[in-house]
Amino acid sequence: MSDEAEFPPAPQVAGTSLDGTRIFTVSAEENARLCRSVGVAPAADGTAHPVWYYVATQVAMGKTVAGVCETCEFDVEDGPMMGSSGVRFSGPIMVGQPYKVGGEILSLVRKKSRKLGVMDVLTYRLRLHPADGGDAILETDNVWVLPRKELA
Amino acid sequence: MSYAVGDVIAPFTINAVSEDAMKDWAVFLADPNPIHLDVEVVKAKGLGDRVINQGPINVAYMMNMLMAAFPDGTIEAMDSRFLDNVYGGDKAVASGKITAVDGNRVECEFSLDIEGRGTVNAGTATIRLNA
Repeated sequence: MSDEAEFPPAPQVAGTSLDGTRIFTVSAEENARLCRSVGVAPAADGTAHPVWYYVATQVAMGKTVAGVCETCEFDVEDGPMMGSSGVRFSGPIMVGQPYKVGGEILSLVRKKSRKLGVMDVLTYRLRLHPADGGDAILETDNVWVLPRKELA
Repeated sequence: MSYAVGDVIAPFTINAVSEDAMKDWAVFLADPNPIHLDVEVVKAKGLGDRVINQGPINVAYMMNMLMAAFPDGTIEAMDSRFLDNVYGGDKAVASGKITAVDGNRVECEFSLDIEGRGTVNAGTATIRLNA
């Protein structure tokens, strides 16, 4: 019998929309503050620090982190862990430019690891678009590990 | 500037990971998870005895290294894996090297290492060199 047969399957959440309705804009003040917090000066050409890819998509997606966890039938208080984050840019994030977020959950896969026991591996994809329409300027795939203590 | 496979990327160093920065990021991320803000919560959860840096801050350190190394380029793609926690007060060093050069694109691999503990993040990036 395989390990996977020892515990119930993960909730079927692939395809869940993470489209947001909120408009997200990086202000010059926020960008300067973020840059200082990570040890660099803000760019002089109007581009925001590229790590805003993560912040903007998380804040303006259609669910909170706790809400995404709830969709996966996971209590955020149980401690989701970041597994990986990938981003592909087709253009820079600009200070003062309004953006909106589209996206979806790609998969939720239940696994067993020696270190963490039973866990669900959540992968979701988010895109950052100009708020007035047009192609996404970036696409990001984030992977979270959701330890299933109750199944350990 | 010219780039070659095997070139080492100049490191980017944070001498002491800032707990105040974590407070800023709790606002940026609209996520007041107390493991980034309250050491007593970290202790209670058995996660250590210092507050834990938000993961994307570690990504920013590695981006800083890449942006400094390629002032004539932009990050086109980047993937990073989170291998361990970074704590307040840690000395963090992002470093890397060039693994491929193809026309106006440079491929890199990199890591973020903590003094005394080793690698906590690792990944790859593609830099597009501007004409």
